[in-house]
Amino acid sequence: MSESRESKIRARLEARFTPVELQIRDQSHMHAGHAGAADGRGHFAVTIVSSEFAGTNRVQRHQMVYDALRALLESDIHALRIKALTPDER
Amino acid sequence: MDVNDRIRQQLDEHSVLLYMKGTPDFPQCGFSGQTVAALKAVGKPFAYVNIFEDPEVREGLKAYSNWPTFPQLYVNGELVGGCDIVVEMYHSGELQELLAPVEHPA
Repeated sequence: MSESRESKIRARLEARFTPVELQIRDQSHMHAGHAGAADGRGHFAVTIVSSEFAGTNRVQRHQMVYDALRALLESDIHALRIKALTPDER
Repeated sequence: MDVNDRIRQQLDEHSVLLYMKGTPDFPQCGFSGQTVAALKAVGKPFAYVNIFEDPEVREGLKAYSNWPTFPQLYVNGELVGGCDIVVEMYHSGELQELLAPVEHPA
């Protein structure tokens, strides 16, 4: 069995951000049948807490997460909800 | 005019501009729909581009903004964010504050 999409996302985020907290939820079932789901890529929601986000604004945090997942955005991820916090903001 | 010039021109012409899937009346994606709902709740005028009707801008904007998904909201030429950020800002009141100076039709 191939590596699940969720574990691919997890591996990349852990390598890039060494998060103190990381939750990944596969919400693809909530979108089955709509146009964006037709190519088989999934909908995911990520909550990530990492000191790497210190001193950055919301747009930059999302860009950092997108950067870490760039290759997967082409192949596995159609949509991504992101909540990115520093440990202090939790 | 290359695609970056077209994007810059669109952003120059519209102080509040939403790049979205579908139209405000018929959004074709839940995230675009939620973002429109937040903007409508604030009640200020906004312009939109339906990226399904402009594949060149759709691809070009991902690189322009280093932001690979839609919707994307811009205010005064600056990327505010996608659905998560816009909805969060609506609930915290930041979106209302950001759009408060907008008076003339976008």
